[in-house]
Amino acid sequence: MTVTRPETEVAPAASVSPSNQPPKRFRLSNWDARYTPYLIIAPFFLVFGIFGLYPLIYTAWVSLHDWQLIDGNQGFVGLANYVELFGDAKFWNALFNTLSLFVLSTVPQLLAALGLAALLDRGLRGSAFWRAGVLLPNVISVAAVALVFAQFFGRDFGIVNFLLGFVGIDPIDWRAETWASHLAVSTMVMWRWTGYNALLYLAAMQSVPKDMYESATLDGAGRWRMFWSITVPSIRPTILFTVVTSTIGGLQLFAEPALFDPGFAANNSTGGSDRQFQTLVLYMYEKGFRLFDAGYAATVAWMLFVVVLLVAIVNFTLTRRIAGKG
Amino acid sequence: MSKRLVGSAAAAMVMVMVAGCGGGSQADGKIELSLGLFSDFGYDKLIEEYQASHSNIKIEQRKVKMEQHNTQLATQLAGGRGAADIVALEEGVVSQFRASKDKFVNLAEYGAKDLKDQWAGWKWNQGTADNGEFVLGLGTDMGSLGLCYRADLFAAAGLPTDRAEVAKLWPTWADYSKVADQFAAKTPNVKFVDTGRNVYKAILDQTEEGYFAKDDSYIAEKNDKVKTAFDTAAALGTKGQTGALEPFSQDWNVALKQGSFATTTCPAWALALIKAGAGDAAAGKWDVTTAPGGGGNWGGSFLAIPKQGKHPKEAYELAKWLTAPEQQKRIFKETGNLPSQPKVYQDAEVQATVNEYFNKAPVGQIFATSAESLKPTYRGTKDSKVGPVFATALTRVEQGKQSAAEAWTQALKEATDAAK
Repeated sequence: MTVTRPETEVAPAASVSPSNQPPKRFRLSNWDARYTPYLIIAPFFLVFGIFGLYPLIYTAWVSLHDWQLIDGNQGFVGLANYVELFGDAKFWNALFNTLSLFVLSTVPQLLAALGLAALLDRGLRGSAFWRAGVLLPNVISVAAVALVFAQFFGRDFGIVNFLLGFVGIDPIDWRAETWASHLAVSTMVMWRWTGYNALLYLAAMQSVPKDMYESATLDGAGRWRMFWSITVPSIRPTILFTVVTSTIGGLQLFAEPALFDPGFAANNSTGGSDRQFQTLVLYMYEKGFRLFDAGYAATVAWMLFVVVLLVAIVNFTLTRRIAGKG
Repeated sequence: MSKRLVGSAAAAMVMVMVAGCGGGSQADGKIELSLGLFSDFGYDKLIEEYQASHSNIKIEQRKVKMEQHNTQLATQLAGGRGAADIVALEEGVVSQFRASKDKFVNLAEYGAKDLKDQWAGWKWNQGTADNGEFVLGLGTDMGSLGLCYRADLFAAAGLPTDRAEVAKLWPTWADYSKVADQFAAKTPNVKFVDTGRNVYKAILDQTEEGYFAKDDSYIAEKNDKVKTAFDTAAALGTKGQTGALEPFSQDWNVALKQGSFATTTCPAWALALIKAGAGDAAAGKWDVTTAPGGGGNWGGSFLAIPKQGKHPKEAYELAKWLTAPEQQKRIFKETGNLPSQPKVYQDAEVQATVNEYFNKAPVGQIFATSAESLKPTYRGTKDSKVGPVFATALTRVEQGKQSAAEAWTQALKEATDAAK
């Protein structure tokens, strides 16, 4: 459906201001300097247009119709799908789950990544080993991670319940309770993405000028103070970047909750017996690919796009303010 | 995060599409046919043979999980490309695809109607539309119902272990529930049945009309049989006599291996799944007998030919051969998939077949007898949308999240929406 991708930063084009009447031999190079940058970035926009913009618009078009997956267009219905969606308790439930999973996984994840990066930045022995190590969970296929975690969180024979038994906690049915399922799914997401974000932060931290720390040390600042007053403000752009990408990713959560649901391989992929962990994308999948109602699925997709946009804007403003304080 | 997933999914789709376009005539003059299947149809050897006897044909099998198969097929039919030349349609979804029959070849054009008498009447009818004028698919196997039980766990609970004796314990599902009570009283640590969902499905599969009447009108809320089936299964769940397992999932396999449940409903094709899950250690411990309440059908498939294929004639010939009596008999002997043709399952050799793993149970005879008495359930066009609603409702009861009455009320409401 919609493919939302973060816009990669385009290298600033070399700006050349032409003088009034350039000699003839300079004209070609002038043209070159002026238009080549556009030519170079054109492929990105071309690909984005085909794989990003076109599906986005087409999805909007589909969402205005009664559209069956196999039989196609069954007639224009205007905003009827949207009206139905706003009154659909399953949609609001999926939205709640999506936001809850997003907060539960993203906030601790980014904080942990920040801490991890700070540790890695302190020049550990065998730093390459540790750095490669934190990226490892991200390299492993999400299906494999989900399979393993789904077993960890098994009700009858799962390791987590086994360990909880030692501290006197009764076995938890991880798929039956909303909060338990959200916790389990968030753990999967954190496991996969904390290391990746830590490496991004580490790269940014290493470009922070060392003399700033030296002068701060002379002023008698402690490690904690230096971290919050120098490191974090210095890597602000990277934090903003990770917040935006995690927002987009977190709100589009699909594979982890899908594979956590043992019913996914069978015919009922609703994300829990009472949709306890059905995210918006899972709901879209159910509507579009199990119930074959492409029009309604397109509507969910568009609402997801709007939600991502809204949350990204809020996040962007918030983090810019917070990170800008120091 | 999942943008990567979207990316790889897109890449996979592009690959599938490219692969799909690649089908057709090859440089060496061979006609390439693809078979879109799920799980094990037992076609490997048959395909080799067919290629040997038809030197101009090259066959490729594509196997994926069933849910994925159905979803893929739907998108391929919608997109007009990428579908295999022959696709398998499972009994549970065939009615859904029948509604889009204009995307499929009418096999009657190739003379399929002449084959009609090979199959059990109901099996043939499930694969047709327009009062038999449109032949959508040729029947492969069927899933007549049996009941599998762990003889050693029955012995521990003081119940009989001989399959004829066990069958006498439960002529009806009410009797089955009583046995569950006896079993639970003696062996509280083992669940009597894996999941209430399969009990529910089995009971429903023994009625001629379930969620939909034969005129395709939605009747779930007024059909007592649906309510009775639900209540029977929900009661097992409320009493904690079910394992609350997702059927055929990883957890289900683990429970099989641990021997943590004693009975499960088993259509013929489920024997292979139980054997795979329970492993060699449980060989001879599982046995199979007659299901309570008589015969029923769960599962079994059809081979259909999407219109988008380039070689419908050759595809038809292959589908016809694969579903012919001789081949069905061989498949039964190799995989245990029950033939959907009376002449084959009444065949002396099929009747005499025993399953070593299931304590040498005479599976040929058990399933054929069940097949004789079965009255298949009418599957409505939206059956596959309504069914899961009741399944998840039973899971809520088993999880202790809702009472049977609450789960039923919610399920009816959701089902009415789904049937709209």
